[in-house]
Order: sequence, then C-alpha cells, then structure tokens
Amino acid sequence: MVYKLYNQKSVAIFFMLSIGAIYFLYNPADSELFPKCPFLLITGYQCPGCGSQRALHNLLNLNIRDAFLNNALMVISIPYILTHYIFEINTFKVRMMKWRNIFFGNKAIYIVFILTILFAIIRNLLWN
Amino acid sequence: MKKYFYTDGQSQFGPFTFEELEKENLTGNTMVWYNGLSDWTQAKDIPELESLFRIPPIPPGPGRPIPTQPPKTWLVESILVTLFCCLPFGIAGIVNASKVESAYRAGDLEGALQASEKAKSWVMTSFWIGIVIGFIYVLIGISGGL
Repeated sequence: MVYKLYNQKSVAIFFMLSIGAIYFLYNPADSELFPKCPFLLITGYQCPGCGSQRALHNLLNLNIRDAFLNNALMVISIPYILTHYIFEINTFKVRMMKWRNIFFGNKAIYIVFILTILFAIIRNLLWN
Repeated sequence: MKKYFYTDGQSQFGPFTFEELEKENLTGNTMVWYNGLSDWTQAKDIPELESLFRIPPIPPGPGRPIPTQPPKTWLVESILVTLFCCLPFGIAGIVNASKVESAYRAGDLEGALQASEKAKSWVMTSFWIGIVIGFIYVLIGISGGL
C-alpha cells in the first residue's frame, strides 16, 4: 500500500511560508540573489510589478511607508486581494452576488486594468 | 407601478421596479413577491419575470451543470502575476477576466467558461515562468557568488 506523504495544499503552504521567511529576513535591495525584473533589464522602464519584492520585505517588517514607496500598487492591492477570498470561500448567495458584482464585476476589472497601466506610466515619469 | 420584493431566505430586498429588478441577478429559484401575490413565489413561476433569467435552459441529457455562480475570472490571480512576475501575461489575464465577466453577463456561459480557462492558462503559464526564471536567477547568483 502506498501512502501519500504530502498533498498539494500542504506543499503550497510550506512553499509560501518558506518564501515569506526568506523575504522577511532578507532585503532584496541588499542582495544579488533575488531575481531582477526582466522587463526593467530589457526596456529600462519599470513595470507595475517592479519593487514588489522589496515592498514585500518591508511589509513583512511593518515598514508600510517604505513598502508604499517601493510599490504603491502592491500595497493598495492587498486589501482587495484579501476581500476576494471572502467571496471565494462563500457559496453563492444573491446578496453576495451584488457585492461581488460591485467589487469584482466588469467595471471593477476595467478600473484594475486602467490603474495598473496608469501606475506604470506615472511611476516611470516620476522615476526618470 | 408594480413593486417587487425578493428574498434570499434570510433577508428581504426591495421594493424594486421591474427595471431595477433586472439588475439584481435573480435566478429562477429566487423567491419573489409583489402586492397581489398571496405568498412568496419562485421567480420562474411568474411569467412576466421570464426575461430576467439570461441563463440559457439546461440542455436535455447529460451535460455540464449550469453554475449559478459566474465562472472564476482569475482577476486577482492576474493582479498577483502582474505584481510579482510577468507583466504581459498578467495584463493578458486581466483582459481575459473582463471577457469572462462580459460573456457571463451576456448569458454566454460557454464563452465565459472558455474565457475562464484561457485566463487560467495565462496565470498558470506566467506562474511557472516566474518560478523557472526565479530559480535560474538564484542558481546564477549562487554560482556567481562562489
């Protein structure tokens, strides 16, 4: 009889905890080991994700201000992403649908899209 | 003008005009009442509300059950991918999320499910690309540091 030593969920949790520990302990700004953004290397422009590793490090160390400077989009996305999981866990309810449509409906998707693009443009204008 | 109320079993919503009711995403099983009905009635049993249900009727025989919930849009996962890895893939994911929603709203469940699958594949592709690039980068970094 073969026993399964692990399942997908526990592997994912272990993986996330390890990543979290690494980013908590080490600042990507001080180390060459952390992956650099390929988009930045190739184009010289910051993408909407640039700075998210440093932001994660600063957030885990509760330096909200620095995290915001590293990647403001990531910091403001976190409550939104967490909200999403409330809707994911809850089963279908008419009342939930209404809020889901407000937060995650088509209009919301357009706003996310536009914000992401705008953020990329503005950060590059400010940065250069 | 006729005012409608509906309930999810716990709370009661309304009054709504017919136009407002159209935006409330009722299903055929939602209990609806208006002044003149003796009791809450399933919306599908009220002929005038028939146009509210855009979900196409279930085809006969074994088929995919029609979900009451919209298919997963992968919006949040696309945002995460945009933030942590691969910009073009993340943006493609967001665009596909919008396609899932529009198709679902238009009653095109098949299209919505297809777009959802596509959004998923963008997210998964970029997730694994991100992992591989990160891994290669760390390997190069370690070997360079030695």
